[in-house]
Amino acid sequence: MTQPLLSIDDLHKSYGSEEVLEGVGLEMDQGDVTVLIGPSGSGKSTLLRCVNRLTEINSGRIALDGQDVTGADTDVNELRKQVGMVFQDFNLFAHLTALENVTLGPKKVLGMDAADAEAAGRNHLEQVGLLEQADSYPAELSGGQKQRVGIARALAMDPELVLFDEPTSALDPELVGEVVEVMRDLADEGITMLVVSHEMDFARSAASDIVFLDDGEIVEHGPPEQLFQNPTADRTEQFLSRLHAHEETA
Amino acid sequence: MAAILLQTVDWLFVIDNMGLLLGGTVVTIALTVASILLGFVVGFPAGAIEVYGSDRARRVVEQVGVVLRGTPLLVIIMILYFGLSISSSAFVTATIALGLRSAAYQSQIFRGALQSVDDGQLEAARAVAMSRFEAIRHVVVPQALRRSVPGFQNEFTIVLKDTSIAIVIGIGELLTTGQNLYEGGQSTAALEIFLAVSLVYFVLTFATNRSLDRLSDYYAVPEGTT
Repeated sequence: MTQPLLSIDDLHKSYGSEEVLEGVGLEMDQGDVTVLIGPSGSGKSTLLRCVNRLTEINSGRIALDGQDVTGADTDVNELRKQVGMVFQDFNLFAHLTALENVTLGPKKVLGMDAADAEAAGRNHLEQVGLLEQADSYPAELSGGQKQRVGIARALAMDPELVLFDEPTSALDPELVGEVVEVMRDLADEGITMLVVSHEMDFARSAASDIVFLDDGEIVEHGPPEQLFQNPTADRTEQFLSRLHAHEETA
Repeated sequence: MAAILLQTVDWLFVIDNMGLLLGGTVVTIALTVASILLGFVVGFPAGAIEVYGSDRARRVVEQVGVVLRGTPLLVIIMILYFGLSISSSAFVTATIALGLRSAAYQSQIFRGALQSVDDGQLEAARAVAMSRFEAIRHVVVPQALRRSVPGFQNEFTIVLKDTSIAIVIGIGELLTTGQNLYEGGQSTAALEIFLAVSLVYFVLTFATNRSLDRLSDYYAVPEGTT
């Protein structure tokens, strides 16, 4: 049996006396697309941020390729070369063009020379459909375009896993589709993705696994058809029906 | 009143001695540039320490800044020159006094600019595996420097004009040259001489501000959400 790409075990995280994650476990194989859903405050984003150690855990174990990455002696920068991240608020580097946003990491961190980084960067921008905007600054892009640059920036590091922290939540409704489409393409290409999102469209069509998180613990998980059609826990069912109601009114 | 005081003969005296005033102007410019550079070299790291430094380092920098900002420049110059005699060169002493005082103010310009850059920028840079230092250097600092230009323009103007205080330790800068012309030359020409001196200060500050505006426009990036 091959070892999972990502394995999280008994993860605990508190902010002060507030326990946000109460012993969470999760496994992902290469090529998996896992979507984390759950009410706000359930710990989804915290879980995501623990994986690349933007947030430090209190206890538990996170392993990437079988290597524990939570130890004090783990080189976080080595870890982050393997784990890309896409932010809710994009966080594109404001003083750099779209292309420069994508090439900064490869140039400064991976030591790629400028010409190679640019060629690769253009490919990544093309992959998200933004080659023509290569020389635009973030402030000149729409929200959907910004997020697609954010995705290209993460891909440019050639990571083993990409984390998506509510990638469409800050977008106007009409711009959600273009980002979801790009994410679906990535899923088809076999990019391993851990996604916090309530885009049911994406979850249904691209996810290999849905994980429902509530109050800091995983209530249930399973393939989308099973979890959406036949949730076993009452809490899941209630959450899903609220989500459906919201989708219909939206 | 002014009409009586502004005599043609006195203006001719000023024009005749324009070479001397320009010589003083060169010293003023040299003193300004040296002081601003010293202020930048010390002030920028000081501002960065106030934002990113350890508690201890931050406290030290803050306290030194408070003392420097709370002491009149004239007093700083006199302490350094007559009190501590840190250098026999009046120019060097004035540069250090103006430079350290400017560093104390420039540190606040840069501190504010660094703090104004959204935390998400640093976080995104860390997420592409940059070290904290790399992230600050390649992502935060370039944005902060752009935002510090208006404050820096102010500081430049202030230092330029405050070089005149170096008159007390006898550097042949612009104001000293004017003073010498008035005392050792034509005492009726005081108003004309000091008006000419003011004009030179004004031209210098105006030209510098315009140049920095140009520089700022050249490096400007479109503003907005990222």
